[in-house]
Amino acid sequence: MKHSICMVSDFFYPNIGGVESHIYQLSQCLIERGHKVIVVTHAYGNRSGIRYLSNGLKVYYLPIQPVYNQCILPTVFTTLPVIRNILLRESINIVHGHSAFSALALESIFHARTMNVKAVFTDHSLFGFADLSSILTNKILKFSLAGVNHAICVSHTCKENTVLRGKIDPSDVSVIPNAVDASVFTPTSTERDPEKITIVVMSRLVYRKGADLLASVIPEICSRHSDVQFIIGGDGPKRLAIEEVREHFQLHDRIRLLGTVGHSAVRQVLVRGDIFLNTSLTEAFCIAIVEAASCGLQVVSTSVGGIPEVLPPDMIQLAEPSATSLVESLDKAIAKRRNCQLLSPDGAHDWVRKTYTWQNVAERTEIVYDKISAATEVTLADRLHRYNKCGLVAGKIFIFIAALNYLLLILCNWISPVQNIDLAIDCRKLRRLKTGGVNLEQSS
Amino acid sequence: MAMSCDRSRKKWQKVLYKDQGVSDNYVDESFLEEMKKNLHIRTYEFWAVVRESNVVMHQIYSVWIFVAVYFHMRNFVLTPQFLFEMSSAVTIVGYIVNFVILHENALTKSRWKDGKTMGIFLILGFSLSPILMTLTKTISTDTIYAMTFFMLLANLLFHDYGTDAAIVSQAFSLNAAIFASICLASRLPTTWHAFSLVTFAFELFALWPILRRNLKIHFPRLQIILSFLLGSVVTVSVATVSSVAVVVFLLLHLFITILCPAWLIRLQPYKNNIHGPWDEAVIKQ
Repeated sequence: MKHSICMVSDFFYPNIGGVESHIYQLSQCLIERGHKVIVVTHAYGNRSGIRYLSNGLKVYYLPIQPVYNQCILPTVFTTLPVIRNILLRESINIVHGHSAFSALALESIFHARTMNVKAVFTDHSLFGFADLSSILTNKILKFSLAGVNHAICVSHTCKENTVLRGKIDPSDVSVIPNAVDASVFTPTSTERDPEKITIVVMSRLVYRKGADLLASVIPEICSRHSDVQFIIGGDGPKRLAIEEVREHFQLHDRIRLLGTVGHSAVRQVLVRGDIFLNTSLTEAFCIAIVEAASCGLQVVSTSVGGIPEVLPPDMIQLAEPSATSLVESLDKAIAKRRNCQLLSPDGAHDWVRKTYTWQNVAERTEIVYDKISAATEVTLADRLHRYNKCGLVAGKIFIFIAALNYLLLILCNWISPVQNIDLAIDCRKLRRLKTGGVNLEQSS
Repeated sequence: MAMSCDRSRKKWQKVLYKDQGVSDNYVDESFLEEMKKNLHIRTYEFWAVVRESNVVMHQIYSVWIFVAVYFHMRNFVLTPQFLFEMSSAVTIVGYIVNFVILHENALTKSRWKDGKTMGIFLILGFSLSPILMTLTKTISTDTIYAMTFFMLLANLLFHDYGTDAAIVSQAFSLNAAIFASICLASRLPTTWHAFSLVTFAFELFALWPILRRNLKIHFPRLQIILSFLLGSVVTVSVATVSSVAVVVFLLLHLFITILCPAWLIRLQPYKNNIHGPWDEAVIKQ
């Protein structure tokens, strides 16, 4: 069964990042499988309106500017008319929101459910429970997930976290991991320095990514092994700490700080290394280690969040989030490298190429779409009942918001009736005309 | 047949790179196995909490004494000369006690510095009192009393009670108290009244907490005796101003010393701290 899918998020091209590339790659693979996919996001500077990306991927850059942290101002009701219009024009039957940080995604899912359109939500990050921002965000997530048909998480740890935060049934959450474009991250032996062992670090230099751990590990490793050098890509507030370490221990020829590395230049930096070091303090999936493994590097990482689930033990050395444990694991990896006991770069690349593919992600996502399309529709009363379960006081507030949204939808239907809305051209029909030939496929 | 089927089914592993033959939304028995609840809770003992609550009560005593002194001066029961002499004497005694318990040398340079500071303060204060008195003279009494109330409340809220919470701000707390004293000083008849009240406020809100803290560190047993002493002083001084106020004070005392600890302990079983592999890691040394 072919679906019309609307991907919604505040994070999309021209921004570069994990969520952005996830949406893009997933959309492309779903288009390959014959579905119709559009993307809805906010305006980026002057980039507003409708743009087309490759393969007819239509992107709606809504004329709303982001206010804080790349997200639009959450107003709940003001996005209803424009989202309703888009969903009707494009005959969307599934709305897929990404990232709990994205106000646009959560609002669009809410409006989709008000219009009885099926909704899926993908969670990309881990959250705490104890501080004030987490408590508020988790309440909002409970509200969103109370209406959603199905949720997708990128790792098992992420699933446990989402189930606890959002108080949903675990069988309503599917675990579909991220993937990498392995054709971009290919290993090559010519860039590597054969005399030395190169350790590559590629992350933002912030506290969350363990920059302090990195600063304490570097001098220890450099003193233990004279032929080890570090290449550090990325910038951030903790860059000063690394530079201080370099000054203090006189390691100018052994540490290279590259600053921010553009997305297209990442592979060039990775292939210069033998070992990839990741010191994050929290990660739902960590796509960086898979990219590094695809380039043939041995990975050494802190065992936090979803990282232990991503790579098999012969491709990754896990360590506790402490300097001593990281140094121990790095020693083991360096020893293995010296004795040539590591998996060959081509072997590692082939493994990643076969295991983490976007086609696999699209296939599994399609199963989710098929399942929710077949499910019976939930009545307004049932939905309000589910919102009520979100809390003693919050439940009543959510019911009020949901009911008000429903009334506003009726108002929109009266002002701009459904029959007066023109349907947009389906790009799939255009593509079939272009490629020619008889096509017995029915367009849904 | 059934038994061999069970044995051949392997244990589900929490990994993403293996196709384990189950659907994506499969929930294994080991789901949420690594979740731990309420790892770092403290158990509270009622009387220990009551004893510790006197930190808050001490600051409340200061506030009530201050307001009672104002009303006594207003009613001409207390003369400014008497107040100034008494508070100066008590301050000097307190100062001596402070450097005795800190085992400091009696003849170091800091004595000379402190003396200089005191001299400058007294001279400046006395010369600026006419201005201080007229600063808020044009504002109506009701507004003054309302402002004083909120300023003293701010003093209580932002005071440093020994924790390192984000809300603590010593400077703000002291400033609020001094502003309250200036508000009240404008309602008094002469400059002498204003000067003695402001000086008293400084001694009570700036110097007394320092001595209190040092006493708490070196003589923890003294806290209870001090509480009883100050409590009785407050009760007596407030009773001569207004009987309603005494009742309010005693109820407030009961609430903070007995009811709040009981409430805190009653709420402990509802704690629900969730820990698990999703927590941001704490760097171990």
